[in-house]
Amino acid sequence: MDKTILDQMAMQRALTRITYEIVEKNKGVDNLVLVGIKTRGVFLAKRIANRLKQLENIDIPVGELDVTNYRDDISHEGSNRDKFNNDISFSIEGKRVILVDDVLYTGRTVRSALSALMEIQRPKSINLAVLIDRGNRELPIRADFVGKNIPTSKHERIKVSVSEIDNKDTVELIK
Amino acid sequence: MTTTRYLILEDGTSYEGKAFGSLATTSGEIVVNSTMNGYQEIITNQVYHNQIIVFTQSSIGNTGLDQNSYESVQPTAKGVVVREYENLATDHFKRISLDKYLKQHNIPGIYDIDTRQLRHHLQKVGNMKASIVDVDDEHAFDQLTATVLTNQQVAQVSTPKPYANPNDGDNVVVIDFGLKFGVLRELSKRKCNVTVVPYDTSSERILDLDPDGIVLSTGPGNPNDIKPGVLEMIRNVQSEVPLIAFGLGHELFAIANGAKLNPLFIEHHGSNHPIREIITNELLFADQEQGYQIDFKSVDHSKLFITYLDLINGSIQGLRHRDYPAVSFQFSPDGSPGPKDRDDIFDDFIETMATRRRQAYGF
Repeated sequence: MDKTILDQMAMQRALTRITYEIVEKNKGVDNLVLVGIKTRGVFLAKRIANRLKQLENIDIPVGELDVTNYRDDISHEGSNRDKFNNDISFSIEGKRVILVDDVLYTGRTVRSALSALMEIQRPKSINLAVLIDRGNRELPIRADFVGKNIPTSKHERIKVSVSEIDNKDTVELIK
Repeated sequence: MTTTRYLILEDGTSYEGKAFGSLATTSGEIVVNSTMNGYQEIITNQVYHNQIIVFTQSSIGNTGLDQNSYESVQPTAKGVVVREYENLATDHFKRISLDKYLKQHNIPGIYDIDTRQLRHHLQKVGNMKASIVDVDDEHAFDQLTATVLTNQQVAQVSTPKPYANPNDGDNVVVIDFGLKFGVLRELSKRKCNVTVVPYDTSSERILDLDPDGIVLSTGPGNPNDIKPGVLEMIRNVQSEVPLIAFGLGHELFAIANGAKLNPLFIEHHGSNHPIREIITNELLFADQEQGYQIDFKSVDHSKLFITYLDLINGSIQGLRHRDYPAVSFQFSPDGSPGPKDRDDIFDDFIETMATRRRQAYGF
């Protein structure tokens, strides 16, 4: 049984709230950069950047991070770990990085993203923004900005669709 | 038999009409509402305390009043002016008619008045006093000119004692400046455990109630007439717990954070103005009951975000504090009456309270 947890309006609103909270917590947008975790995190990061542009009339750079090669729960046999698929065209040295992803679950994606970022340069700080926090963490990681908390069991699945590639904006719970 | 009565304005204009409702002689500030439906919610809204309400909608009263749409227990408007009055409360809900309701609450009504022409007239001359009287002679105009309207409207409509509206969700304290039930309805729907307190309650007493969130309600009158203690209370609580404010509450939130407020030349009551949300560039419509506007130049951008703008009169329709989860809206997102384009503002409030609790206690 599929159940829609966030519709388009609710998703927009969650991103709007996250944007305000980012400004609130960072006391402004100085030195801020956004890094989205591929695939859907990138689109969410871009939407947050658009909102910051509307609000403060400032262009916040958005980077794209591919963490596939850093996952500890995917076999890397035959793959080349040096082969990055990242697109971060700006320096993150000394910057305040907001890492953006769609769903926070075990924490393993975020853990790999942190390793990947640290390998590039040394940011001043890293904060985590997620659209959905579904619980069931396996690592000591938590999000600073959460669109919606949805406690789930491990048998359930959360499906996030973004209009840029899925033709709709929804979050569904699949049992 | 119909009685002839008169609506007289401070500038000497007189309109002849016919009486319905109570036959009392009353005076108040005259305001025009252009909403198409929901006269019951409008008449019972405490925003109209001591005001005579003119409806531009041509026919009023043809649906009767129902139990679920009151916005206050005791309406305090001073009169109702309509083009055409219909006494047709005959549907199967056995609703009470407007005529009977106004008689019960001693509010006079007057019909057969060209309310759209009246609206045009007021648009030219601005806000003013008016009376509904039996004869429009010199004496009546003298009386009207001599009438001094109170500037203590909030003190008159706010609850004298705290009361609870219990539920099992978030603990919310509502500060009553002239509360509209629509806000309580939206909080009830979301299972908030609500305590309503008088407008002059101190910040210590409010925080002693251990609220997850605080609501500053709508209300009547000039925000500049409010006691300074109220502004101090707002400054004290906004840094402690999530805060959401509407109407008069929004105006007070603005003043508490350094902004200045000016009266509008003519009050705006209706839901026909498009409002733009700046962060997403989206348009929405909402019920607006606005007599004052924030002076743009007085907004301290290092403290406040401007979040919504009215696209017709250019006034600021929403603010958000930069450092705290405190938001305010000039319009009423609860509808009652009018569009509910943005009733999800309440969902946001619930989510903000949950976030704060999680950050503080980890659950």
